[in-house]
Amino acid sequence: MSGAELGQIAVNAVLLSGILALVALGFALVWGIMNIVNLTHGAFIVLGAYLTFWMHELWKVDPFLSVPVSMAVLFAVGFLVQRVLINQVIRAPLLATFLLTFGLEILIVNLLNFFFKADTRSVMTPYSGTGFSIGPVRVPWIRLGALGVAIGLVLMLGAFLTRTRLGRAIRATGMDIDAARLTGVKAPTIYALTFGIGAALAGAAGSLLSMIVPFDPNLGGGYTERAFVICVIGGLGNVVNVLIGAAVYAVVEVFVGSRVPALSQAVTFGILVLLLVARPQGIAGKSFS
Amino acid sequence: MRVFRAGFLLAALAALLLLPRFVTSYKLLTYTTVLCLAIMAQGWNFIGGFAGYAAFGNVAFFGIGAYTTGLLMISKWHLSFFPALAAGALLSACVAALLGFPILRLKGHYFAIATLGVAEAFREVAGAWDKVTEGATGIDLPLRSDSNFYYYTALGFVVFGVALTAYLARSKLGYGWVAIREDQDAARMLGINTTLFKVAAYALSATFSSIAGGIIAYQNIHVAPNDFFKIEYTLQTIIACVIGGTGTVWGPLLGAAVYQLLSTYVWSHFIELHPTVLGAIIVFFVVFLPRGLMELLRRFGAVARGGRFGSDVFLANVRASRLD
Repeated sequence: MSGAELGQIAVNAVLLSGILALVALGFALVWGIMNIVNLTHGAFIVLGAYLTFWMHELWKVDPFLSVPVSMAVLFAVGFLVQRVLINQVIRAPLLATFLLTFGLEILIVNLLNFFFKADTRSVMTPYSGTGFSIGPVRVPWIRLGALGVAIGLVLMLGAFLTRTRLGRAIRATGMDIDAARLTGVKAPTIYALTFGIGAALAGAAGSLLSMIVPFDPNLGGGYTERAFVICVIGGLGNVVNVLIGAAVYAVVEVFVGSRVPALSQAVTFGILVLLLVARPQGIAGKSFS
Repeated sequence: MRVFRAGFLLAALAALLLLPRFVTSYKLLTYTTVLCLAIMAQGWNFIGGFAGYAAFGNVAFFGIGAYTTGLLMISKWHLSFFPALAAGALLSACVAALLGFPILRLKGHYFAIATLGVAEAFREVAGAWDKVTEGATGIDLPLRSDSNFYYYTALGFVVFGVALTAYLARSKLGYGWVAIREDQDAARMLGINTTLFKVAAYALSATFSSIAGGIIAYQNIHVAPNDFFKIEYTLQTIIACVIGGTGTVWGPLLGAAVYQLLSTYVWSHFIELHPTVLGAIIVFFVVFLPRGLMELLRRFGAVARGGRFGSDVFLANVRASRLD
């Protein structure tokens, strides 16, 4: 492997890690606060991608500008899903929420397939495909921009969770729901808000992904799995943990993808299972603080 | 009541035995598929229903069973069907036991996703291991155009599955699984070797999945990675169990039949929305009838004996675990 190739792998990994962090952050928030492994996460990502695609197609909205719109729409969807459905069975055995979110994922993905067909789409802007070079290593503008937006959102969420009253209420609910309720936190609403924020982050990630990779309604499942792996690597502790997990995972994925593309998932899951065996409770603790 | 039930079961069994006389052989193939779904569901019931471990990768053993059966029947061994099927089942049980020791230490979500990952990994290996599995093209099995054979084989295993479940449900093993499901730490303190019990449940579920895979492989003649390592099979299995009632003797069989009825109806009326309806069924059962149809039947039985229906069947989870 040449130095140029290594350099490109490193740059690709950095560019990938931003979006992966965004994908994983919403997932980690929902998991850490409410102990829900949200298998609908991938479907939310795809919804975000389609929103950006249609806004660009119909009204020529720049994809970067449509990020806030998909976040707002997905927040509303997520809030309703948690409020109306998941809150009903939240304390049931784990299989209940697991199956419920899985059922929702199938439902949404199939509806998307029904309305938009399984055609592969991509958002093409005037600046698609342009970039700059550092020596032999190429950096596309779009990926760099997406990295910037992703990191901005991650930092904003971190600030929101630690600096605002609402953010502290969310974290308090995650640490001890009964104690939080004693201090006047409305737990069902906080749960719905948390799920809404998770969905909004997925929507943002979907909007950014629509510019980077060609997508169809089935894109999401792979990202749900990636989010899970990242959470296991980094732990659910806080925003920094998720960032570290995303960076580590991005290096593994880009490297394995360039060496043995046919076995990329087998290798990734092999690593995951080994990690889990070494630390059955996950790498870090449970709560999001 | 007991006489009535025994008579009903005998009549049902007779109807199932005589079924091939009355339907076309094409139709019979779909019935065999239902029976195989029931076999997989019976297997999943041990680990998911009794032991309470949400295994999401049982399709891995379905695939291993299909490939092992197929490969042993065609390559230089030329085994006949049943020895090949048995070899596949044995291999699956061994793989499950080996995997089980590490991954059954995981709890909750971690276990579920680890099994999901294992199944995905097996699919990729089957697709990439050209020398043995012929990669994405898959392998072709010898042709046997006798649809009765597949049907009766599957039926035999279903009956065996019901008998085994009924026996195990009242055995030390079965009670141990339920104890683990309800409280693993308490079970350990009662002297149950939890690891061994869980591995036994997992290996047993793998054996059943493998047998279903072998039968379907022989019936379909062709085995390819993407057809036999489909996550949808795992999902159907779990849904069948949930519809019928997890941790019950008859639940998996009843659930598989009802699932297939619903599924066929949806296929023929709104083919494109099939998965949507599937998703809606899952949501419906998780929210409204989490204990499955067997619980409903049990309550009807109670009413028939003059008892009360009780109000805690529907929305049981919502009543117990709603957040408000």
